[in-house]
Amino acid sequence: MTAYFIRRLLLMIPTFLGVTMIAFMITRFLPGGPLEQELMRFRMAQAESGGGGSSMTQAGGELPQEALDELKKAFDLDKPAPVAYKNWLTRMIFDLDMGNSYKTREKVWDAISARFPISIFFGLTGFVLAYGVSVPLGIAKAIRHSSRFDFISSALVFIGYSIPGWAMGALLLVFFASGQHLDWFPLGGFESNSYDDLPSIVKKWEDIDDVSDDFGSFDREKMSLVSKVVDRIQYSVLPVFCYMIGSFATLTVLMKNSLMDNVGQDYVRTAFAKGLSPRRVIFYHALRNSLIPIATGLGHALSVIMAGSYLIEKVFNIKGIGLLGFNAIVGYDYPLVMGILSINIMLMLFGNILSDFLYALIDPRVRFE
Amino acid sequence: MTTIETPQASPTTDAEKQALLSVRDLGVSFRTEGGEARAVDGVSFDLFPGEVLGIVGESGSGKSVTSLAIMRLIPDPPGKIVSGQIMYGGEDIVQKSYPDMRDVRGNKIAMIFQEPMTALNPVFTVGMQVMETILTHEKVSKSEARDRAVEMLEKVGIPEARKRLKDYPHQFSGGMRQRVMIALALVCHPNILIADEPTTALDVTTQAQILELMLDLKSQKEDSSIILITHDLAVVAETCQRVIVMYGGKIQEVGTVEQIFTDPKHPYTKGLLASLPSTSEAKQKRLYTIPGNVPALHEMPEGCKFCTRCSEVVDRCHSEEPPVHQLDSGQLVRCHLFEEEK
Amino acid sequence: MAEPLLEVRNLTVRFPIWGGVLRHKVAEVRAVDDVSLTLYKGETLGLVGESGCGKTTAAKAICNILKDTAPGVIEQGEILFHGKGEPVNLLELSRGDMRPYRQLIQMIFQDPFSSLNPRMTVREIIERPLIVHTDMTADARRNRVHELLEKVGLQAAYDTRYPHEFSGGQRQRIGIARSLAARPQLIIADEPVSALDVSVQSQVINLLQDLQDEFDLTFLFVAHDLSVVYHISDRIAVMYLGNMVEIGDAETVYRQPQHPYSQALLSAVPQPNPSKTREDRIKLKGEIPSPLNKPKGCGFHPRCPLAIDACSKDVPQLAEKESGQLAACPVT
Repeated sequence: MTAYFIRRLLLMIPTFLGVTMIAFMITRFLPGGPLEQELMRFRMAQAESGGGGSSMTQAGGELPQEALDELKKAFDLDKPAPVAYKNWLTRMIFDLDMGNSYKTREKVWDAISARFPISIFFGLTGFVLAYGVSVPLGIAKAIRHSSRFDFISSALVFIGYSIPGWAMGALLLVFFASGQHLDWFPLGGFESNSYDDLPSIVKKWEDIDDVSDDFGSFDREKMSLVSKVVDRIQYSVLPVFCYMIGSFATLTVLMKNSLMDNVGQDYVRTAFAKGLSPRRVIFYHALRNSLIPIATGLGHALSVIMAGSYLIEKVFNIKGIGLLGFNAIVGYDYPLVMGILSINIMLMLFGNILSDFLYALIDPRVRFE
Repeated sequence: MTTIETPQASPTTDAEKQALLSVRDLGVSFRTEGGEARAVDGVSFDLFPGEVLGIVGESGSGKSVTSLAIMRLIPDPPGKIVSGQIMYGGEDIVQKSYPDMRDVRGNKIAMIFQEPMTALNPVFTVGMQVMETILTHEKVSKSEARDRAVEMLEKVGIPEARKRLKDYPHQFSGGMRQRVMIALALVCHPNILIADEPTTALDVTTQAQILELMLDLKSQKEDSSIILITHDLAVVAETCQRVIVMYGGKIQEVGTVEQIFTDPKHPYTKGLLASLPSTSEAKQKRLYTIPGNVPALHEMPEGCKFCTRCSEVVDRCHSEEPPVHQLDSGQLVRCHLFEEEK
Repeated sequence: MAEPLLEVRNLTVRFPIWGGVLRHKVAEVRAVDDVSLTLYKGETLGLVGESGCGKTTAAKAICNILKDTAPGVIEQGEILFHGKGEPVNLLELSRGDMRPYRQLIQMIFQDPFSSLNPRMTVREIIERPLIVHTDMTADARRNRVHELLEKVGLQAAYDTRYPHEFSGGQRQRIGIARSLAARPQLIIADEPVSALDVSVQSQVINLLQDLQDEFDLTFLFVAHDLSVVYHISDRIAVMYLGNMVEIGDAETVYRQPQHPYSQALLSAVPQPNPSKTREDRIKLKGEIPSPLNKPKGCGFHPRCPLAIDACSKDVPQLAEKESGQLAACPVT
């Protein structure tokens, strides 16, 4: 089995190379690449400077040949595509340098890593909550199959499944954050602008909510931590809910069906025939087996956690990776596109292997050869 | 001739022995799409200490449902015990509370099933599954339970039992898995073992070994009994002392194994035996056949359940359910033909 | 009877086992090892053995459907079919060339529940081989379907029903009707009655025998139930761990088995006769080894009560015994 996982790890290399190579080639041949963008920028600058130098305007906004060559060199466009790909690859692997964003001139790695905490926070919270709610809910539904509780929870879960997260987000904002109906949550963003200076915010709340007596006894540091947590929760309730709402249904129903399948198995009858209590039969014998399909999903969640969601991030004005990736594609910001793509592919490939590994770990029958 | 409502066929030799288990007028129904289906109807029989009782029948005969009812393992819903008593140790199993029932299962009455492949939990070790039975019923330490498990696994013929405690069911062959099943069923020394088609999924030579093992273990515990549920008449002939023949959820005939195999009375029993390919005499060209198919539960006819396929059917069979007649030989037969017989 | 319909010569089928980082072949299982047998026109040959003995693999190899159903590799051997005049080696035929032969060799499967397409009506199921192998008109096909249904003891009016509306025995009859549709010469029946109720088994066995007489069919009857095999077969072949260990006239093999494995197998068969004692039963030690670690020499020698030193060295060849059959045992 070790051989199997070594083989899988080795197979990641050609897969990664294949995907990035294809993506790289596409970026080379699509119109609207970096040269065109530079030209555009040049022309805009010229237009702004206006009639300052009439000779220049007459040149028709053309860049001098030397400058053009220099630009080409800077973007590796003077070399054939395979060589450029090789350069991009070696720079990334050995220097962790994925180039600079065409737009902001920022290093790609810096741009992405600045967004990591936000995406990981939302991804992880959503993921933990989705599993934390769906697994017990699925178990409860299986045990009370066909009861009123089962029907009502199914209805709720499927309504959630059928509403897109961003639409739900817009709806929630109107009702709970706009102040038109209720004003429980902030309209968007990741944290208060004065997050790093929060005790003062608490002061503000003290005024509003009149809880000064309770908070008054806290020392400054503690207050700062508590208020930070409160702040974080205030900002994340709505977006996290929108992130998860779609995955509730699949996970809950998967858990329910998996457990019900297992309760109908012969070994459950054997367990009852041994004189075990129903609690032990269901929560020990059947549950252990029914968690197998749930646990194998954990690996795939790895890539989902990082991916973020453009639309939800847009609605809540969160600066996450989803939004960054979307803007990069729309803006032909190829180094950034390649950077995000590379990271996502790595996560996906690792996620798949992790899934198989978890599968082999829980189910003793599984032997990968 | 005597006609009795609750037949009490007893083995001719141990007539005065007290029954270990008495089933009276057992009825089990299942809710199906086609309405309520009686899977077991008015089944009464006794199990005596030390005997091997065979229950034979085809699919839908109610033999497995009867055995599950004794363990109160009928899946509810859709199934339900709707009538009757199952007396064990002076108490009615049907009326027992759940905690009381747990004390019976695996401890006093144990059961093994047809598919050793699926009857063991695939994600737990064999050792844990055998030890679990002990720890459920007896207050012993874990290490003591482990020693008992090893001892039991050795007894059922698993080589290097201590080493194999840590193995999972899929690491055993089919025959070995059935041995493990027997070990976890018998480790608390129950006095009744219900074996539901224990060898159907096994090869012939393995089947012989497993049957041998079951009889051997039974003989080691005095007065313990086996109920063997099977469709295979030959297996019954070789292992049982008494035989119950079921069809359509009802007992059709009860007798000693000699009576059933050499002098069957019920047309169904006769037909079943005749349709087996004979291997002792010269080959017959054609086999005897019982016409038609086993009806589905909700398609069972009025009157005698076998009337649609019976070669000796008379008019009243279609309208009137025959009572059970006890013959002088002690055999019980549910058939109108025996009304006048003395 | 002496006219052969199908000759299997030195058939060896192996299943490679892949493993390691580079997925090289780490082992192989010889599911069928150097098996030769001849089927004569109009006879029934019973092929018996326990799970893992290779009987089903051998049957599939003869139908030439091994490639489609399992990654088995036919290592060597010939399967000569005499049904169309000159003998033809089926293993050398391409998929297209195989088609006319496939029509003549049909298979009946064990599980009447899974071998019929649940979304096709009975007529569509039985019609299928007629569409593939003949150019009959739709009307002619329908008549043929009705005729076949009646032949197997079902009402012609059932042709619009779906498989789930039938009982196990009736489904097996539908399977038989399908196999007969294309007028085959050879029928390979893989455990055709083992999933059926006892009272229905004998109906299907009789039906198979009637059809054999009527259509002059040749049967290869693969089964584990020895009393059924004895009843239906003219000759019996016994397999163990991929090897043919005994073959001969049914009466002789059944009454006077010469290979120790056949003897043990037969003595393990329970008899519906309570007066027969089990005392003289041959008790085999241990279990059938995995085909992966097949013992050297005779595959049966570690469990054989008669084994001698030579048994662990060379694979014994089939040789004629006094009672007339061939058995692969140097001791008996």
